[in-house]
Parts: sequence; structure tokens; C-alpha cells
Amino acid sequence: MDVETNRRMARGAVPHPDVQTYDEVNRDVLRALETPGKGWWALLAVAASGVVLFFGAWGWQLYKGIGVSGLNSPVGWGVYITTFVFWVGIAHSGTLISAILFLFRSPWRQSIYRAAEAMTVFAVMTAGLFPLIHVGRLWHAYWLIPYPNSRFLWPNFKSPLVWDVFAITTYFTVSATFFYLGAVPDIAAARDRATGLRKKFYQVISLGWRGTDSQWHHFGKAYIFLAALATPLVLSVHSVVSWDFAMTIVPGWHSTIFAPYFVAGAIFSGVAMVITLVVPMRKIFGLEAYLTTKHFDAMAKLCLFTSLIVLYAYVCEFFLAWYSGEEIERTAFWNRLFGDYWWASWTMLTCNGLVPIMLWFRRIRHSIPALFVIAIFINIGMWFERYVIVVTSLHHEYEPFAWGIYRPSLTEMAILVGSFCWFGFWFLLFTRLIPPIAIAELKEVLPAPRRRQAKEAY
Amino acid sequence: MAENKNMRDGMKRRDFLKVLGVSGAGATLTGCSTEKVERLLPYVVGPDDITPGVSTWYTTVCGGCSAQCGMWVRTREGRAIKVEGNPNHPVSEGGLCAKGHATLQHLYHPDRFSGPMIREGGELQQVTWEEAESLLAARLGSTARAMLISGRMGPSLDALVDEFVEAIGGVRVGYDAVSDAPLAEAVRIAYGTAGLPRYDLENARYLLSFGNDFIETGSSPVAHNKGLARMSSVDAVGSKGRFVYLGPRLSLTGLNADEWIPIRPGSEAPVALAMAAVIAGDDSAAAGPYSNVLQAYTPQAAAQVSGVTEDAIFELAESFAAEAPSLALGPGVGAHHRGATAANIAVMILNHVAGNVGRTVFYDAAVNAATSSYADMEAAISAMGSGQVEVVMIHGANPAYSMPPQSGFTEAFAQVPFKVSFASAEDETSEMADLILPDRHFLEAWGDSSPLAGVTSIQQPVMQPVPHFDEIGELISDAMGSKQTGDVLLAVANRLSGEAVGATFYEYLRGRHQSTYDEVDGDFEDAWRQLLRIGVADTRREGSDALELQPPDVALSFDVPTLDAPGDLTLLVYPSPRFGAGEFSNSPWLQELPDPVSKIVWHSWLEMNPDTAETRGISEGDIVTVRSPHGSLEVPVWLYPGIREDVVALAMGGGHTAMGRYADGKGVNALTLIPSASEQPSGVLVTTATSVTVTATGEHRRLASIEGSSDQHDRLIAPAVALADLGRAGGDVHEEDTHGELKELQGVGGFVPVPAEEGAPTAFPLEGSRHGIYADAHEGPRWAMAIDLDKCTGCSACVTACQAENNVPWVGEAQILMGRDMNWVRIERFYEQVDATQAGDLDVRFLPMICQHCGNAPCETVCPVFATYHTPEGLNAQVYNRCVGTRYCANNCPYKVRVFNWYRYTDEIPEPLNWQWNPDVTVRDNGVMEKCSFCVQRIREVENRAALEGGREVRDHEVVPACEQSCPAEAIVFGNIRDPSTRVSQISSSERTYRVLEDLNTQPAVNYLKKVTFHEVAAGVHE
Repeated sequence: MDVETNRRMARGAVPHPDVQTYDEVNRDVLRALETPGKGWWALLAVAASGVVLFFGAWGWQLYKGIGVSGLNSPVGWGVYITTFVFWVGIAHSGTLISAILFLFRSPWRQSIYRAAEAMTVFAVMTAGLFPLIHVGRLWHAYWLIPYPNSRFLWPNFKSPLVWDVFAITTYFTVSATFFYLGAVPDIAAARDRATGLRKKFYQVISLGWRGTDSQWHHFGKAYIFLAALATPLVLSVHSVVSWDFAMTIVPGWHSTIFAPYFVAGAIFSGVAMVITLVVPMRKIFGLEAYLTTKHFDAMAKLCLFTSLIVLYAYVCEFFLAWYSGEEIERTAFWNRLFGDYWWASWTMLTCNGLVPIMLWFRRIRHSIPALFVIAIFINIGMWFERYVIVVTSLHHEYEPFAWGIYRPSLTEMAILVGSFCWFGFWFLLFTRLIPPIAIAELKEVLPAPRRRQAKEAY
Repeated sequence: MAENKNMRDGMKRRDFLKVLGVSGAGATLTGCSTEKVERLLPYVVGPDDITPGVSTWYTTVCGGCSAQCGMWVRTREGRAIKVEGNPNHPVSEGGLCAKGHATLQHLYHPDRFSGPMIREGGELQQVTWEEAESLLAARLGSTARAMLISGRMGPSLDALVDEFVEAIGGVRVGYDAVSDAPLAEAVRIAYGTAGLPRYDLENARYLLSFGNDFIETGSSPVAHNKGLARMSSVDAVGSKGRFVYLGPRLSLTGLNADEWIPIRPGSEAPVALAMAAVIAGDDSAAAGPYSNVLQAYTPQAAAQVSGVTEDAIFELAESFAAEAPSLALGPGVGAHHRGATAANIAVMILNHVAGNVGRTVFYDAAVNAATSSYADMEAAISAMGSGQVEVVMIHGANPAYSMPPQSGFTEAFAQVPFKVSFASAEDETSEMADLILPDRHFLEAWGDSSPLAGVTSIQQPVMQPVPHFDEIGELISDAMGSKQTGDVLLAVANRLSGEAVGATFYEYLRGRHQSTYDEVDGDFEDAWRQLLRIGVADTRREGSDALELQPPDVALSFDVPTLDAPGDLTLLVYPSPRFGAGEFSNSPWLQELPDPVSKIVWHSWLEMNPDTAETRGISEGDIVTVRSPHGSLEVPVWLYPGIREDVVALAMGGGHTAMGRYADGKGVNALTLIPSASEQPSGVLVTTATSVTVTATGEHRRLASIEGSSDQHDRLIAPAVALADLGRAGGDVHEEDTHGELKELQGVGGFVPVPAEEGAPTAFPLEGSRHGIYADAHEGPRWAMAIDLDKCTGCSACVTACQAENNVPWVGEAQILMGRDMNWVRIERFYEQVDATQAGDLDVRFLPMICQHCGNAPCETVCPVFATYHTPEGLNAQVYNRCVGTRYCANNCPYKVRVFNWYRYTDEIPEPLNWQWNPDVTVRDNGVMEKCSFCVQRIREVENRAALEGGREVRDHEVVPACEQSCPAEAIVFGNIRDPSTRVSQISSSERTYRVLEDLNTQPAVNYLKKVTFHEVAAGVHE
């Protein structure tokens, strides 16, 4: 057994045993910012055309009217709100990983939190568009913002939609700040290696970071304060989004369980999305040494845990519908399982309840391809969860004669697909512009360099 | 606008204004008849007698159908924008049906002819009236072989046409697509009098309809609807008349019955005679000359042919005799089989034996309605086909569509060398015409009517003729445009006789009335003005001699008539409650009005019993081929529990080919399936004539229906209470049942239901809610509505009335299929008890669902921008301009009464249909929510008027929303519920009052009164 192996075994506690020197970290991570491969360009091309589709479809809808969607009476909310909630949910785990795990000093966050935070910011940017896409008169949407005006008209602070405006904008502000602040030392590292126009760009956005003690001191303080500020937001934003539903009287929406249920679901879907994004990123940029099975194992456990909460929430909802004795409530949940949208509900239950059971197995948690597939399932399942909540509750409401069926239109589908491309577009740009792994923090957890043995040195 | 170029013409503007003074004091009455006045002009200098923003009302007569209901027309700035029932009119008493409302769309229809046209080389060329009239005169002058085919018209025009036809030596043929000829013939045979019988539905205690759909079609739907509602609703002393429907299919009328006896088609006569026999008993002379007939029809025999049990017939007969005065109505226009006249005579014998003549049915030659004979048309066709006719003129009829293709009308008509149409808009017949002389719409023209003997109404023009524009937007010249047929005939007659100037039709009409006027009653001029102002002169005399039955002068068979083809499915072809025989099909309002029975819009459907469909492997929406010996067509199936298993039914009115943009290609023409056969002896078209085979094509479509579920799912949306339970707590609610479990919870501090009195609209707003949007909701009136479901017949007149009043757009079939109907009123129809296999209780509930104007509205709190909020008067207001379109309010509305503008639907409305828009109501933009406003514009108008009149209080019943105004059944009452003396307060204090889904604590302002049933009401599933 050679010394090197010994050393590695001794460092078994660290999440990335194959990373040895600080220089290695800089080299490997910053390589991602260099000339990309064809794969990246291909993905960017796909994403960019999707963005064109996205705005094209939106423009078409603005030109023709919201009628180009499949929405109707009684189903006034459909794919747009489903996708809104989906992306807000995705936006969760970034801040969770970066802020909450930071506060808890979790040992495995360093390699993934940058990507997760970027995901958060872009997911909020995506989610925030959907309320705008879905309103009938976009040009008046600013009325939801309280601003002094000569008509003395304020928004209705009783309306959960107004709360949404606050929740989403606050969350976006804080998570974007947090993301940017945390990246400043790494941007400086990139600046030091970059040349030409890129260098100029990094010079501006690294805010003159030189790595002095004083800067590190302030940075550390600011970071922990922001982490503390962001932590309650992780819980609040999706609680507020859930109140869009819970505060109404719609059977299937009106439920006190919604806030914790939505938060758990959000973390669940968010972590799954992190896995979905990190797996290809790791492959494309050769970051295998930084994103090891330990990271994936930890994320898989988080998925498993939140999937159990979500499954519990599903069971609770069905149980309470039955237990309440309210026929209308019972009918709503019966309809959810066996009504017109049974396929959506069963997709949801399968993807979010059954498939994650596999994560109990260590071998599966350690198999990256298996995790990737499971994560995709979870992403699909969580989209359908919101679809089930939004659509099945509305289409069979109180008034039987007004029951109806909703069929998403091509425009809605184009905007749904386009939203993934819009998100992916920003994420792809991110991987090329900001070091996708936190260099500075990673270095903190590397064992300090020691003198090498003479034999090795020579 | 092309109108602008006319502004310089001051004289014309003044002439135009004269017209508007027709019913105004001191104005000249001849304004309308002058040829000088032909244009609508914008106001530059305000006229004295019109205040912009203030409506001018005129009385006139509805020209929609033969019922001739009285009408009030509201005009604004010279345009008719709304029609309403004239409460002073003895026929309609203020009610108006959906078709009546839709006549406004025909007035402003873009498919109207812009002026007289002559066909040259296959193409219609626009000409002047001068040219058109001289052409017609020349043609008529050169031949005596002329024919004039006409539909129903007013007495004066009718007289003029007779004179005209006589003068040219031609023949006149009357033709009504839907005719009551068997009834008229039956009256003639049985009693020797003319005209249709008059019924007193209101005072009957027991009403029996043998397939007579009197509230939707027939001689006077509005009057009969009112009569039925009054008769069958529970009164102050807790008494209620029973209504029994006998027939193979439940029409809208049938759906309102308390009991359905699903007899086989055509078996009315045996059943009626058997009943009469039971009632007559040993009295061998009870039925006069028909007594021997009674002996031949025993209940046993009747049971055999009709498919119901002997006991049912016995019971029916006994109740009919016991519950005097009773009333039986014979087969109506939807049930014309080959024995229709005999069946009507049988029902007359039944009425006679039961002693109803002179009590609930009167044969005093009272009712003037469409009774023409189809057999006359058959003769006319053979005359045309054999070249005996040189000139055919057609007025007020569209036989090329409304006669079965088997009749050969189209082929025969095509052979006539010169064909003249007086149609005001294109249709299948005018499409073939060589000369088109477009008549005016009845709202632009003079006329008169006499719906009942002794009742006279004048149809006066309420506005200038709608101007027409050519392709480049130039106003069509005065010499063109539309012209009243009476004037055309007079002009042509003058040409033929060589006289230079003759009278106008207005003078002719007025002269006729003057000649019959008795000067002892005062100055004619005053009487005439009074007639125009009130709209009606009623000189009826009370009383009717008891008549004796006459022996028949023709051979009669009371047996079940035969059908054309052997088959197991009898085809019923019935006039549509919306389109009649198809003359209303080009109205988008009616196309989009959900059929009162099927709730389907824009297309045709084949009604089939679910069991029949199941045995054939057909499911709803399957497109089937319906084949008879006479033709075949493809149509989707709608499953209907209210039709016998051996019967299928198709409505008339679909499948137009040349009627215009809203009618063509919509649905199928049911007449292609039936033979061209006339019943003997009345000569009416036989519509229940043939059996059909129905085979699935394998294709399927979704039905454009607004119905979600016809089952209430025990939600007590439309509960009922048994008559026996009235006065006691009862019905299929309530507290104990639904809240039992919850009340247990209260013991441990759980759910506390809102006590009923707090949930009542009078309690609005709740204690503790005096802040925020409810802060100032404590003063002034609290507008509320009471809807009596015991009266509502589901006729849907209110839906169209609301659409007309509130500028509600139509959206078309594709949008309806997506679930986007825009109507503010939704008539829900729930089946509770429908059994097509045997006689039994029938329970179908209709519920007009509108915005409930909740005191604690779920929609208001969720709107992020206060686009919907509560007014101090308790209205749930919708501010269109503030709406962002999140649709959150609609999601949170448990009643689902909010509708959204998915597109700018009003963009689709062509000129000049949009001229009908109510200027008091905003035309909504793309992307905003809308809903019933309780006609807030009418509330404001009345409040403003009250304020101007010395700041007086608004009187009860002064604010009448469009739905209440129109409701023929008088089921809707609106008013201030904070004042205990108002009608709405008093009605709402009924023990039957409930509010839909009130458990949600929405505190609706709409109080519904439960339907009252004779049978016990099954409780909900709440154990």
C-alpha cells in the first residue's frame, strides 16, 4: 500500500479525496470558463432557439389574447400557474443548500452550492415570468405593485397574489445578492487568469477583490448575515405561493397543510433539479473529482427525506378529505384519483412517491446514472403535482353544472418547453462566466499542503 | 364614417327627427311614411325632443312569430337597442321570449339586403325601387297567372295583399312552416267555429298536455309560459295545480311536468278517448255525437296501443275529472302525425266530457295564429311545376328551406319564369329569386296585429330604416334601401292602374282602423295616439256560450297512425324552441343560447334514450347516420333520458345553406328525413311520419354543450320540497342532515355554522366585518333578487334578454367547445327523476344561475387590485378598467358565474350588428373578467331619476333588471331587501327560501325558492 493511498484513506472524511492541491482546484474549475466544447455550443443553440420559441409564443398570445391557451371557465389557471409553482419550487433548494447548509456547516455543500444558487436565481427569473404570461392584460400587471399614485389606488393586501409579488421579488433580490456576493472571490480568481475583454468584465464584477484579510473578514460577516436572511425566505416564499391556493375556498386547495407540504415539495424538486443539472455539468467540464458520490449520496438522502414528507402530505390530504365527511371535499379527491385527470394524479404519485423509494438503497444512491434518471422522474412528478392541484381542483368545483375540462393548448406547451430553454440558456451562460464550483470554499476544506516526502519531491 | 357626408344636409336631419316624435306629444304622425326621410344622422345640433343619454321608448308588436306579443322598444339616439315585453299587452303581459329579443339582431343583421335587386345573368344587381317596381308591374301586367305565397301577416297587410292579388287576378297561397292547422280543423269539425281555442291555463287545476309544447312553440308561447307558471306554482294558500305530460319525448314544456306518461307517438287519441270514456261512465250522451267513439276506446285498448298501463289511464282520468277545472291540450306543432286532427278532436271530447269548455277552454274564435295548410302548398307546387304560374311572389316565408326536399318545391319554383321575393335578408328562397324587394324589419315599418279577437295593436316604426353601405362605405341611396311591402304593393298597383300617386301603406292602415272606429268613443285622432302610446286596444267581451259538439263532416280515424317505414325507432321532428322552423337560425344570440333541453349550441343533435344507445353500442357524441326512406343525414347523438326508447328526435332549424353567416352549415336539416305528406283533413305537414334506422359512422365529436353535470351530486344546488311538507320543516335539506357531524364538533369547540338569519342578505354585512371593503356597506338599499324555482320553466328568455341588455358577446362553437361561454345567466338543468319506461313522477329542476352578489364574496378578497369589490349597496361590482385578468376571482367563485374575455370577442361582431349595443354598458376588452351586474346601469338610471325628482326614494319595482323584465314565468323579482315592504323581501320570507351553497358563508343576495313537488323528495345521501 503506497503512501498516496494511505493519504487518501486518511482523508476519507473529505468529500473529494482526489483533489489535492489548491492549484488543481483553480485549474480544474476555471477550465470550465475557457473555450467550450461542441457539446456546450449545441446545448446553447437548443436553449437559444427555445428562448425564441418562448418569446414567440408569448408574443403570439399577447397579440391574439390569452384565449390561445386552453384555459376556460371553470379552469382559469392551468399550465402557466403549474409551471410557475414548479419553477418557484425549483428555486428553493439553491438557497437551502447554500444558506441553511452553510449555517449548519454541512460538509458536502461546497461543490454544489454555486450551481444550486445559480439554479435558484434563474429559476426565480423563470418563475417570475409566469404570472405575467398568465394575466389577461400584461400591460396592467404593474398594478399589483403598491406605488403611490394620483388615484390613491393600492393593491388589495388581502389577496395572496399581492403577497406573491412581495415574496417572489424579495426572494429574487436576496438570492441574487447572495449568489453574487458568494461568487466575488471566485470571480477574482477568474479575473487573474483571464485575458482581454473577459478580464475587463471580471475586473468590473469582481468589485476589486484582492483577497486581503480585511476583505475576507467583511466577506465572511456579510455572507453569514445574508445566509441568515435567506434562510427564512426559503420557508416563506413557497409558503406564500401555497397560500395562493390554501387561502381560497376551492375544494382541494383550501387546506392548512399546504405551506409545509409545498416547502417540502419544493426542496424535493429543487434537489432533484440540482442533480439533473450537476450530472451533465460534471461530465462536460470534467469535474468528477469535485462532485463525488458523496455529494450525490447526500443529495439523494435529502430527496428521499423530502419525498417521504411529500408522500405523507398526499396521504394526509386524501385521509382528511375522507375524514372530514364533507361530500364536496371527498368528491374532489375521489375525482383526483379516478376522474378525468387520473393519469396526472397517478403520474404524480408514481414519480414522487414510488420511484424515490429506490433511494433507500445505497447502491442506487451511489449510481450516478440511476440518480439522474430518478431525478428526471421527480422533476416530472413534481410538475404533475402542481398540475393536479391546479387543474383537478378547478375543473370539478362546487357547482356540478359548471364542471368542465381543460386541455392545454400548443401555445401553452411551447411556453412550458420554452421556459426550460430560457432557464437552461442562463444556466449555460453561467457555467461559462462564473466559476461553477466555489473555488475559495472548496480550498477551505482541502487539507493544508504539507511537505512532500523527498522521494516524491524529486 | 360615411354618415358624415350627410351632416351638411340639415333638412334631412330635421325630417328624420320627426319620426322619433311619432309617439311623442304633438309630433307629426306621418313622419315615417315620407320618402324623404331615409337616413340616420349624427347629432350636430341637439334636437329638442331627444336628450342624448336618455332613452325613448316606443310600443309596437313583436313580429317574431304568430303569437304577436306586445313590445316596448328602447331607443337611444335614434337606434333601437333593446326590446322588452309590454306589460299592458293582454297576450304577453310583459313577458318576451328569447326569439323576441333576437328580432333585434335581424334588424341590424349584416346579411340583410341593401336594397332591391334584379337578377341579371345569374348575378343580383342592385337597382332603384323605381326600376324594381316597374319591372314587377310590367311582369304582372303581362300575365294573369301570378301567385303570391305568404306567411303570417298583420290584418291590414293581409287585407291589402288580398286586394292586390284580386286586382292582378292571381292566386294567394298561405304558408306557415309551423302551422296549427290540425287544431283549427279540429275546432271546425267538433264545434263548427273558426280560429284556435283560447286556453285559461292559469285557472286550471289539472293540466294535461298530449305532446303539446305550448311554452316553447305553438300559438302563444309567452302567454302559455306565464299561464303554466301561474297554474303550476304553489300559491299563497299552499295550493298548486298539477301538470301531466303525455308524449314520447319530454320537450321543454314536458320537463316542467309533475308527471310524465311516456306514451307511444300517435297514441294520444286512444288515451284521450279512453279517459273520456272513463269520465263519461254510464252517461252515454256525454260526448254527444262522439259517444259511440268512446265505447270503442276502452282503457284496456288504449293501454295496449300507448304503452302505459291501464291503471295509469284510469288514475289519470279520475284525477282529471276530480280536479276541476282541468284542461287538456291536444298534440301541438311538435307532434303532427297522420292522425293529428283526430287526436285534437279526441282531446276536445275529453275537455268536453270533463266540463272544461267555457271554463278553461274557449272556442270563441279568439286566437289568430298560423293555421295554413301544407296541402295548399302541395297544390301550389304542382301548379308551378306544370308551368301554370308565370310570376311567383313570396313574402314572409322560406319554403325552399322549410318544406321537406321531398316536396319538390325547389325544382318547381325554379321553373317559374319570374320569381319575386320580399325577404329582407337572404335565405334559401330569395337565393333563387329573380327580383328581390326587401321588406323592412317590423321595427322599421307600420303594421297592425290582432292576436286575440278584440285585441288590436299597432306595429309602429321605432326608428329609421337601418341604412346600408356599399363596399366602399358609401351610403346606399334613398332610392334604394328597404321598403315596406305594403308600400311596394300599393306602388305596383298604382303603376298597373295608371294612377300617378296613391296612398301609402301607413295611410291605408290608419284608414282601415278609422273606418272601424266608433266616433262615440271620442275623437279618432286621440284614440289613435292613445293606441300608439299604450300599444294596445282591448275591446274583448267576456263570456263564451257553452258549445255543443257537432257531428264530424269528414271521416275520422282515432287509431294510432302508421309510419312510413317499418323500423324500431320513430323519428320525431319538432320545431326548435330557439329557431322555430329555422327562421331564427341566423341570429348568433339564439345560436349561442343553450337549447333549453339539451344545453347544446350551434349544432344539431339526435336525441336518443341512453338505453337505446347502449344496446346499439352508441355513446354520446358518436356521429350516426339517420336513414329514412326519404333521405339520410349524419348527426351526433345526445343521450337524453327524457325520450322513449323507441323514439329518436331531431329539432328543426339547422342545416341552412343560404341564410347567412350564422346559420349556414350549422347543424342538419331534419326535414330531409321526412316525406312531403300532409295530414288529412287539416292538410298540415306530417312531421312524425317515419321510422328511421340509426347506425354509427365510427366518427365522434364533442358536443358543444354548456352542461357540466346534470346531476346535482346531492349538493342541493336546486333542492325541492314536497307539497305535503310545506308548512312543516322539510324538503331535502338540512341542518340536521348536513351538519350533524359538524354539530357534534361544536361541543368541543369545533366548527360553528353561521345561523341562517345571519346568512340572510338582510344581515349583510356580518357583525365584525365593518371595515375594509365592507366599511360603508351599512347604509342605503341592499339590492337582492328572489328567484322562484317553482315558477321557472327554464325557457331561457332571460339569457338572451341579458345578452341584449349587457352587450354580452357571442363566442362561437369552437370557443364553447373549449368551455368559454360568455352568458351571464346559466340555466342549469338537473334531472332528479326521469323514467321513460313507465308513467310516473317527473322531477327535473331548472335553476337560473347568475352572480349571487354575495355579502361575503370569495371573489372580492382574492382580487389583487380591487377590480371586483363591494359597493355600499351590496352589489358585487366588477370594474373592467381595473381588471388585470388574473382570473383568481373566477377560481374562487363557488357558483362559477364569472366569465372571462379570452379574446376581444366584440371584434368579431360585424357592422351593423354592433349598433344594437347598449350605450349604458361598457363593451369589454380582451383579458378582463365580467359577470352579472344586477343591471347596475338600470339601478343608476332609476336612482338618478329619483334624485332629479326631488330626491325621492326609489320605489319598489322601479328597478327591473333585464332578466326579470323578460321572464314570462314571473319567476324573478328584484328589489331592495333592506326594506321589509318590498316584493323581494316578502317573497324571500317564504319558508321555501334558500341560498345556493350557503354553507360556504358567502351570504348570497339571490334568494331561491325551492321547487314544490307533489311526490316526496328524496333526501340527499347525507346520512
